[in-house]
Amino acid sequence: MIDEDLWSAIGDPTRRRMLDLLLVDGVGTATSLSERLPVTRQAVAKHLGVLDRVGLVHGTPAGREVRYRIDEAQLARAVAQLSAVGSAWDARLRRIKQIAEAIERERKA
Amino acid sequence: MEYGTLERQIHIEASPEVVFEVVSRPEHLREWWADDAKLDPAPGAVGELVWGDRAHVEAITVVDLDPPRRFSFRWVADGGEAPVAGNSLLVTFDLEPSGAGTLLRLTESGFREKGWEIAVLEEAYRDHVTGWERFLPQLQTYAVSLGSS
Repeated sequence: MIDEDLWSAIGDPTRRRMLDLLLVDGVGTATSLSERLPVTRQAVAKHLGVLDRVGLVHGTPAGREVRYRIDEAQLARAVAQLSAVGSAWDARLRRIKQIAEAIERERKA
Repeated sequence: MEYGTLERQIHIEASPEVVFEVVSRPEHLREWWADDAKLDPAPGAVGELVWGDRAHVEAITVVDLDPPRRFSFRWVADGGEAPVAGNSLLVTFDLEPSGAGTLLRLTESGFREKGWEIAVLEEAYRDHVTGWERFLPQLQTYAVSLGSS
């Protein structure tokens, strides 16, 4: 059984790269991550919000910034789900479905 | 075990026109597949899929573009050649109206025609069936470390 929100959170390439960086560095802020990614600090902050909502990262206020760390138990759960689905094309097709259905809803709205 | 073709299908609650855009346009390929994608929507056009900071780049050749029914392309050519028949994998998306949505059929073939040694062939097939590794290198390492701790 796949948790759709968790799947969606981890399905985005930028968010996966952010998780990669947090795994390597242990901790990161929107500023420190944006310096190493081709996206703005604001975009990184938004992605961190998505990861936070599904419990993949936890933020701790530190001055004007929030320091984020990976939630190891939740990440292990996400990785187990990815393995369970097991297929690169299955994963890609799920993303295609999500994206197409989101566009369809926007156009009908 | 047949290593010839990988087949999948999925129902999508969106029109074939929308699904066709998502499977074929570079701005969407960047959302569901690679970190970056360059692709001209014309048969014979050679584009590229890019992961990371060009850590991994795959050439991709458009074979058939028939909106909103079919999009097919070749990728995974040997030795940096442009993908053509005989040296690459052929991916075909067939779209069919289904209720208010679309039935999307995927096939990936050419594991045989690439003419690799059987072991390499099986490895490539397995990689394409279970291949999140390429996209989640750190997560995979992490998962292994969790499993062993």
